[in-house]
Amino acid sequence: MLEFLSYPFMIRALIAGGVVAVLLGWLGVFVVTRKMSFIGDGIAHASLAGIALAVLVGWAPIPVAVVFAVIIALGIYMLEQKTNMSSDMAIAMMFTTGMAIGILLLNAYEGYQPELISYLFGNILLINSIDLITIVSVGAAMVLLLALYYRQMLFSTFDPTGAYLSGLKPGRYDMLLYVMTAVTVILSIKLVGIILVSALLVTPSSIAKLFAHSFKQFTILAVVCAVIIVYVGLISSYYLDVPSGAMIILVGTGLFICSLLYQTLVSQVKKG
Amino acid sequence: MNAYIQVKNVTATFHETTALDHVSFDIQKGSIVAIIGPNGSGKTTLLKHIIGIETPQEGSVCIDGKSPKQMRHAIGYVPQKFDFDRSIPITVYEFMALDRCGTDKHGVNNIDRVLKEVGAMGVKNQKLGTLSGGQFQRVMIARSLLHQKEILIFDEPSTGIDMAGEETIYDLIVDINKKNNTTCIIVSHELNIVHKYAQQVLCLNKKKICYGVPETVITPETLTALFGHGAGLYHSH
Repeated sequence: MLEFLSYPFMIRALIAGGVVAVLLGWLGVFVVTRKMSFIGDGIAHASLAGIALAVLVGWAPIPVAVVFAVIIALGIYMLEQKTNMSSDMAIAMMFTTGMAIGILLLNAYEGYQPELISYLFGNILLINSIDLITIVSVGAAMVLLLALYYRQMLFSTFDPTGAYLSGLKPGRYDMLLYVMTAVTVILSIKLVGIILVSALLVTPSSIAKLFAHSFKQFTILAVVCAVIIVYVGLISSYYLDVPSGAMIILVGTGLFICSLLYQTLVSQVKKG
Repeated sequence: MNAYIQVKNVTATFHETTALDHVSFDIQKGSIVAIIGPNGSGKTTLLKHIIGIETPQEGSVCIDGKSPKQMRHAIGYVPQKFDFDRSIPITVYEFMALDRCGTDKHGVNNIDRVLKEVGAMGVKNQKLGTLSGGQFQRVMIARSLLHQKEILIFDEPSTGIDMAGEETIYDLIVDINKKNNTTCIIVSHELNIVHKYAQQVLCLNKKKICYGVPETVITPETLTALFGHGAGLYHSH
């Protein structure tokens, strides 16, 4: 029954999946609280420019995409702060610009690029040992940063004026959140794909919100949901022989629908 | 005697619309000052300049000889509106404990005491998004009292609170003012509150209409200048 564990590519996918699930679940709590669910989509799509550039010149796509994503995230932050643009407007602007650059770069590439299709939809076979080391080491550093600055990021997210009056510099933590989200989204691309990654940032928090009675519960539940979604999605994609990214997202949606139905049922029973 | 808070010639313009026009006044330490004016008269903008989240295009704000940014740790602020997604599950206790990561970490030990003081102890473990307007306002006031601040700024603190509760809140503000010599700035629409609690009042309608002792400066002419014709009649009541 556990034959999938005998395949190294599955072991790599499960370890990498666990790390990105914890990060996406945790960061998703902030993203949902800030009502900027679109940011994962924006960064992932804009990073196509970085991936296309790397493929064109023969560099490793993920590090180039990380640099691109961080620039995009800081661009979104600066547009929000320095202009009157709302978060969704700034994200849409950077999202389409990155995509447009990516399409132009791909146009310069002659011939079919199967690897690019995998980046769009995710492919667990793509995760090699170097990717795994990158995901685990960068992921561990980010979990540490989140643990260290969780309260400050929460304070800046929830009440920037209160955080400022408490002596914090909320802008610094906002920027940290944007950069961490960008890096995590890119780390997840090989697993879930550019097109689907943002769902994994939002769905676990949406499920957790239905059951949590405090922010602590909200955070823990979102992380647990993200891990369950990724593992159930990965294992079922192995048995059903379907793309991992799509399967992970559909498991998430299924879990969300079940949670919503359960909540509705419980509230109906309570009403009598 | 040097004023504790000095607002000098403060001018603020947003998209070519003047929000504050060369506003100047001084506040003495330990006093209660009310700010009155119609909607859109620049009251909240002025408060934002005093706490330092806005910088004046012209003029300056000085608190105890320092800039508002340098003095921000000494300021408690209850905003008129607190915009957040009410579906986010954060409890009142968690919201108040956010301050734990600020410069003064000990204030969170006072959560129970301040919630009791404002009559909101019963909602301590309730989700913030489920509170009524009045309960929410009490929690916001309680949070400003967590640390012993030198300046407390309230932007319409009794919004959503019933008359009995309103009295409790203002009595509490006066009590804190007397006990700790805290300088209090209150934005209010209600003239009876201004007369009862404030030692000074600033009448603002983008520019300073008058500033002084309420009994002296609030006249039918002032009210007409603030709220338009007909408002002066209110004075006789």
